[in-house]
Formats: sequence, structure tokens, C-alpha cells
Amino acid sequence: MKAVNKKEAGQSAFAEYDYSNFYYGAGDDPLNLLTPFRDWYQEALPNGYYLYSEPLATAPTTRVRVQNRKTGQVQDLLNLASYNYLGISYRPEVKQAAIEATERYGLGASGSPILSGTMDVHVELAKAVASFKAKEAAILFPTGYSANVGFISSIMRAGDNILLDQYSHASIVDGAILAKSRTIFFRHNNPMDLERKLLKCSGKKLVVVEGVYSMDGDVCQLPDIVEVCKRHGARILIDEAHSTFLFGPNGRGVAEHFGLDKDVDFHLGTFSKSLGGQGGFVCGSKDLIDYVNAFGRSRFFSCNLAPPIAAGLLAGVKIVESEPELRAKLWSNVAFLRRRFAEEGIDIGKSASQVMPVLINNDAKVFSVAERIQDRGLYLQPVTYPAVPKHKSRLRISVSAAHSEEQLEVAVGVIGSTLREAGIIP
Amino acid sequence: MKTRYGYANAISGFFEFPTENARRILPPHLEPAELHHGSSIFSMTAFDFTESTVGPYGEVVMSVIVSPLVKPGERLPKSAFYPYLVATTTKAARDHAIERWHLPHWMEDVGVGFSQDGPRIVASVTADGAPVAELAISDHSWNPVSHLYQSFMKDDRGAYLANIVMEGEQSEHEEETGRIVLHDHPFNRDLILSDVYEIPFRELWMRKGVQTFDPLIQLQTA
Repeated sequence: MKAVNKKEAGQSAFAEYDYSNFYYGAGDDPLNLLTPFRDWYQEALPNGYYLYSEPLATAPTTRVRVQNRKTGQVQDLLNLASYNYLGISYRPEVKQAAIEATERYGLGASGSPILSGTMDVHVELAKAVASFKAKEAAILFPTGYSANVGFISSIMRAGDNILLDQYSHASIVDGAILAKSRTIFFRHNNPMDLERKLLKCSGKKLVVVEGVYSMDGDVCQLPDIVEVCKRHGARILIDEAHSTFLFGPNGRGVAEHFGLDKDVDFHLGTFSKSLGGQGGFVCGSKDLIDYVNAFGRSRFFSCNLAPPIAAGLLAGVKIVESEPELRAKLWSNVAFLRRRFAEEGIDIGKSASQVMPVLINNDAKVFSVAERIQDRGLYLQPVTYPAVPKHKSRLRISVSAAHSEEQLEVAVGVIGSTLREAGIIP
Repeated sequence: MKTRYGYANAISGFFEFPTENARRILPPHLEPAELHHGSSIFSMTAFDFTESTVGPYGEVVMSVIVSPLVKPGERLPKSAFYPYLVATTTKAARDHAIERWHLPHWMEDVGVGFSQDGPRIVASVTADGAPVAELAISDHSWNPVSHLYQSFMKDDRGAYLANIVMEGEQSEHEEETGRIVLHDHPFNRDLILSDVYEIPFRELWMRKGVQTFDPLIQLQTA
């Protein structure tokens, strides 16, 4: 522990530092931060960071087999950590579609989508997504991250204004950086602050919001934000990564939920959350999609989605269209869990979706609580600073339509008793 | 030789402000740390020093948070800052800080008052009989700490670095319960006031502690 020198500090390096301390470092060598980071990380791992990236030996169904990185033992756990909100990725028809696509196309696309990497299955998937979202056209990206980065930087330029919610996903922020536009953050989900910021902008303006915010599970105040944007001539992009296929009468997302589908200019989504697959997409007019096809560099210069993935996603979209009861089951599970958490006095903040933060609000305790919960059979991820503000640490729950109420009741029991023992709830 | 200053309270608010503003304040060799892309961090710290070689005094430090200087084998700083304006309540404290630490000062005595009401503390700064700034923060949980910070200074003789250890009881949180009021006063001329978000994203309160400076390191000569 020489580099961090905890003896001199008189404290544990793990407690004194966090990821944010290893980001900036002046000096002559870009490797100067490696040794202090290694020393800190070696202490952080057994103190709770081992809970991240634990390898799964099974599909992300409601029960998973997870290798504990601290003990090396494989644990059979009730899964509340995976997205897969509709439990689709492991459905037999999805797996079969991927198997058949593997037989037909082999492993990968072997090319950029704008050159040789577009197969008929990609075209079919883009059409299916456009139809599902009731838009003229759609374009696919290899990941959700690349969809935001590629789309934002394809339409905005240096000198333009991009206004982002302060809790925006990293892919949105990175898209703004790549666009070289002026980036302005407004307070989270706060249309009044957005308006204050818009008043200072002239020229092209793009406001980016998310349908559901991934750390708090709260829903975008879209009606007020649309009104503000219209008043100031700003275009709106909604990232529906955590809301497409879930919200709205047809599952198109939060924009549809609010009846504002046509008032939002750009609709972006991912396949990795509700469908449990991979990839991202943007929907809109054919002119928009043609333009993004030409200038979306993250797509242009990447290999296309692997055809087996595209085929599995296509099967997944068909399931979502033909089985609206999946959404009904998800919302029933969400309502059940919300009610039970409220009865137990467990705080889930402003969550209004299938993403539920169990607020621990104690950075020192979050890892020991998460560790105890995993030892008692639940697979959950702790989230702490700097991913969320200091003392706003939490365990993030992803509810799925595949969960049974019995499973959710088990989860409430384990979480409730653990939080009580830790003094988090009375 | 180390220099020690005992304090009753040291309160800081950390505020988002545009990186363009930060770059206008910083010398070219320093890089602002950004909270978000395009948003740097302005901090105001008010000290109530109870013990020093120049006696008790009050001090306010206006800073931009910058990248720390990391050296393999040396203790990693918690963070680093560039104090672009310091003001004290006594001439002796001002002369001492200019001579020893090369800190840029407001060259008149200022008023630095603290008022505490339970979990909330307010520091009020006045200059020339006019209000300059009021910083209000609140407390959270208290823990004993010893943290290393780096302070970068620059004057017409060169650029400098001071390693500073802050010891004492610390409360730190991001509850957004505090507030700053920056008055239209020459003291605040380096900031575009309307661009400083008035609610601190972080509030740091240290009490009953000691601030220890290591000997100054000269980084560049003029």
C-alpha cells in the first residue's frame, strides 16, 4: 500500500478513496495512476467490489448460478439484477431463431452495415422495429451506447447546443462530446431549469431526455419538457432504453404513454433491456434515417450486429407484439413489489418503473449489506458513489415479467430482514 | 518544516460553473476537473482559524478544482485546487500567506462571520462594508479524517505547489441542501455570476481540526 500510503493517512485506503480519485492526475506519465489504483483496488475487491462482474454460468433467467469472486464458489441465486424485463432472451423461439441464423449466416456480419455487413435479417429487423414504433423507418446500431454516440454526433455540430439532463447516461454525454457542441446540463427532470438554460441559447438546440432513468427508475417529465422545448424551438431526443417495449398502450415507450409520440422528434431505444439482447436503434422519418446512415460514425465504422442476435431480436419483437400480457404481468409484478416494499418500510425513492433502487443511503454499509443479501440467495448489484451522489448508495433491482410473486416475496423477505439487521430500516 | 493552522470550522461548497469560465481563471499549466463535460467546479471555503503563527483570523478561499499532481510512490491526493482569490480578516494573516504561500489576495481586510443553527452553518463575507458572498451548508454524518489536498499557486515569481493535510471531524454529502449567494462586487469579478449554479452539489464541513502545510514546492520559475 505504498503508493496510497494508508499508514500516513491513518485510514483504510478503501474508505478514503473511490473511483473518482483515480480519474484525474497531472504529471508527465499517463501511467502514474495505475499503481495507486491497483493498491486501492486490491483493498476494494474483498471489501465489496468483488460483487461486480461475477461470472454467470447460466442464462439470465429468474434464477442464476453465479461464481462468487471472493470465495470462488458457485451460488444458486434469485436474480433481480439482469435487465431482460420481459424475460424474452431465453425463450425457446428466440433461441431457435438465433440457432437457425447461425446455421444460415455463421457467426458475424463480417462487415460494416454500409458496406458488406447488411444481411436480409438486419433489413427485416429494422422494418419490424419501425412498424412496432409506428415510424416510417428505423436504423440499427451494434449497441445502445453506439446508438446515442452515433446519432447525436450525426446531427449536431460544433457551435450547436445540446442540453442534457444531469443524470444522462454516459452514451448521451459521450455523443455530445463527439459532436463538439456546447453541452449544457439541466437539473434532473426539471423543466424550469431546462427553460432557464434554453433562454441563454441561440442557434440549433437539441434536448436529450430518457424515458426511464436507469439509477432511480423515475420517469421523464415529458409533457412539461415538450412544452418548454416547443416554446424555445428546441428539438427533442428521447432515449427509451429502459422504456421501449414496456410503456404505453402498445409498448412503444414513455412518449406513447404520455400521448406525445408525435411531439418528440427523435426516438432511440435499445434491444438489451426489455428484449435481453444487444444493439440499439433510432426511429423516425426516412429522410432522417438516410441521413443517420450516412453520418452515424459509430455505426458506419463498426461491424453490423451479429446475424444470430438480429434474428433472435426479430423473434423477440414478434413476441412483444403478440403477447401484450407480458407487459401486463411486468406491471403487475412492479405493483406487487412496490406495495410490499412500502409495507416493509423499504425506500425505493422516486421509482415509477421496473427499475427500483433500494436506497441504503450509507456508503459505508452498502457493500456489507449487498454481501449479506447475496449470501442469503439474492443476486443484486450495489451502486455507490460516483455512479450516484455521495450517501445515495443503493441496491438496484430490475423487475421482470418472468418473476413469480412468490419469488418477489422471497426477495422482499431477504431485503427487509437484512436492512433491519443493518439498522437501515426500523 | 510543516506549518500548522488550527481551526474551529472550515466549510466548503462545491458548485458547477462553465469550463470556459474555469479556463479563464486558471493558468495554462493547470487543467480543470470537470463534474460533467463542460461543467467545472468552483469552490468557496471559509475558515475560522483559532490558532496560527499570526494569531486567530478568518479566511475565505475562492478556488477552481484542478487535476492533482500524481507521483508514483507518493500519497495520492484526495483532490487539488487553484485558489484564485484569498481574503483574510487581518493584515498579518494576509502578509504571512502572500510571503509564505504565494497566494493571491484581496488586499484589504474582509469580514468573515459564521453563524450556526443546529445542523446548518452560514459563512458571510463582506468587503469594504458591502456583502460579497454568503455560503450556507448543512451537516451529515461526522467522521474523523486525515486527507491530503494539493494547492497550486502562481504569481509573478513562478508556479508553486503546497501539499496540505486536513485533519479533523468531517461531514461531507451531496444532498443539495446548501446555497451560495454571490453579490455583484469586484471581489467576484472573475466569475460570471449567473453561470454559477447556486446550489452546491457537494457540501464539506470540517471542524475542530488542524490544517498542515508541507514546505512549498516550486514547479516553475517566472
